[in-house]
Amino acid sequence: MIGGQALGASDKLTFLLALVPFLMDHDRISVTEVSEHFGVAPDRVRDAVNLIAVSGIPGETRQYLHGDLFDIHWDEFEANDVIVLTHLVAIDDSPRFSAREAAALIAGLQYLSSLPENADVDAIASLMAKLTRSASAAPSQVAVSGTDARSSITVVQAAVRDGVQIEFDYLNARGEHERRLVDPWRIQSVDSDWYLRGWCHLREAARTFRLDRMSDLHATDVPTSLRSADAGPSESLFEGSASDLDVTVELPTSAVPLLADYAPHGAAGAPGDRVRRTLRVAHFHGLKRLVSGLAGVVEVVAPADARVVVRDWAAAGAARYDEAEPTDVGK
Amino acid sequence: MSSTTQKNSRVSVEERLFSLVLALIATEIGLTKADILSTVQGYRQRYLPGGDNSSLERQFERDKDDIRELGIPLEVVEPPDDPGSNHHLRYRIPKGLYELPMDVVFSPDELMLLKLAATVWREGSLSAESRRAMTKLHALGIDSSDPVLGYSPSLRVREASFEPLSKAMDRGQVVAFLYLKPGEAAARRRQVEPRAMVLHDGRWHLFGTDQDAAATRTYLLSRIVGPVVTVPGASFEAHGEGQGQTALSELEALWIANVAVISARPGSDAALRLAKRHAPGEIPANADASALHLNYTDLNVLADELAGYGPEVLVHSPALLRAAVRSRLISVRDAHTDSDSDVNPHPDASTEAGA
Repeated sequence: MIGGQALGASDKLTFLLALVPFLMDHDRISVTEVSEHFGVAPDRVRDAVNLIAVSGIPGETRQYLHGDLFDIHWDEFEANDVIVLTHLVAIDDSPRFSAREAAALIAGLQYLSSLPENADVDAIASLMAKLTRSASAAPSQVAVSGTDARSSITVVQAAVRDGVQIEFDYLNARGEHERRLVDPWRIQSVDSDWYLRGWCHLREAARTFRLDRMSDLHATDVPTSLRSADAGPSESLFEGSASDLDVTVELPTSAVPLLADYAPHGAAGAPGDRVRRTLRVAHFHGLKRLVSGLAGVVEVVAPADARVVVRDWAAAGAARYDEAEPTDVGK
Repeated sequence: MSSTTQKNSRVSVEERLFSLVLALIATEIGLTKADILSTVQGYRQRYLPGGDNSSLERQFERDKDDIRELGIPLEVVEPPDDPGSNHHLRYRIPKGLYELPMDVVFSPDELMLLKLAATVWREGSLSAESRRAMTKLHALGIDSSDPVLGYSPSLRVREASFEPLSKAMDRGQVVAFLYLKPGEAAARRRQVEPRAMVLHDGRWHLFGTDQDAAATRTYLLSRIVGPVVTVPGASFEAHGEGQGQTALSELEALWIANVAVISARPGSDAALRLAKRHAPGEIPANADASALHLNYTDLNVLADELAGYGPEVLVHSPALLRAAVRSRLISVRDAHTDSDSDVNPHPDASTEAGA
């Protein structure tokens, strides 16, 4: 029920309440400047200004008379796309954060505090305290532990900033070591996993690398190539290629989100509350690790050679326990 | 311009909410519900003098909730001469509590950091809330410093239980859910006062008071099966700040106390990745060179992860972890073994590394 109103009304109201004090502080400002500052489309700014300009309070007469309403310089707005507030009503400052808004930013900061740039613990703590004081209620109790940021982040980030290529030894999911030369675009993370997205000169394609599979990493003095800039970093972390293989798996409906990275598709029915999904994978070596880590949850149904790869991987793992005694820690 | 905004067209939701906020800020003594419904833009168009306005009243109740969810302090004032009377309740928004405190100032560097923090959430309510918080911050007109190049951090909330649990926590509602503990045959119903939602070691946990046990407990969201429901009529007083940190410290202490000893096959994915998590501290004298110490909070979560490494990892201790990894591998092996196929029970594991 609550929040059931047209999605976006909360966002629009927040924008109206934030825009008024901003416009007050700027005697004359163009729609373009406002749209850039708030990071919203110019049309959203115009819609908001059109609404603000005819809004106000009921007033003593309860008739929303002219003096009870905001007003703008209409000629400037309509002819020059410039906003000039000429009459103000009721509000003159930005609203406080809600408990959950403050919590969302604080938890985001807790996560970022593991990045090397943010090693200044006091600065982060002071910023969190400011957010807490700026909220209308105690921030919701959402907390995030820092992840172990790696020294490689510092090297990669400096290379992104300086626009130089980096070089490292990479162990891929097939178990092969290769020397890679990469134009680094950015460091991406998903929860506690850190990735580098960039242009791989060995493969001549955009690639995503796990930071924890890199070793012997260093920056070169070779500038990143223009060509890689043309390719442009995409937002997605993983992307399919034509040579990808389809694998059908069966799993409980509730476990489907666990495979989100593999873009599962298809709703082919299966008995009970288990469903079948099709994943696209580059090869079966990542799949065998994924499935073995979800024992009793995910089963590969087809193709048969994918089942064999998974079976052999798990069997080889299980066999190691037949060789060794539980007690011989030192071997 | 015309002096009134009387329109024939429907008033949009945001116009009605904006007008309500303006009216309630402008009033010192507060407005009664009848004042609001009969005079405020968006209500007055639908108000029937002397008629049945019950649907409009329900609309007002929902609007009040929506406005409060945005952190706007909408107050209810009881008339001093007529306490307890519902009819004469007055509503208002005290300006001092509405506005960002004057003495809180954000520097351009801080704003840059907050912008990045807001992008951490890509989906769900935390993403919408970060976005609205940033809109409010932009009202201050501060230009942020140039962003630190090259970062795109993100946190996910994949568990469907996160939203209902955090909502119940904020409203002080008791929740019930089925929780499946590894090793237990069936999920058991838990009735819990949610105190904090925490992300530790890459997993979301609920920290709360288990009402049956009358003690605090920490639950992995991934083990909650089925829907989270609020218990009708059951509410609790907020436990105050610091709950999240308490929960994190408890998990951290557990993480430090639990140490697994494993070996990773040299040169393998496991060796490379797990070595970077090797726990600092003493290595037992009898351990071999490839032995690694891993801290963990939950034995079954670690067992899942280590099973994924297949033959690259051998668990030495604790014995329970060793057994858990082994049984997972056996179960995966058996689930993928077709009865008619020719199975080699001891495939040459060493070929895997170069496959």
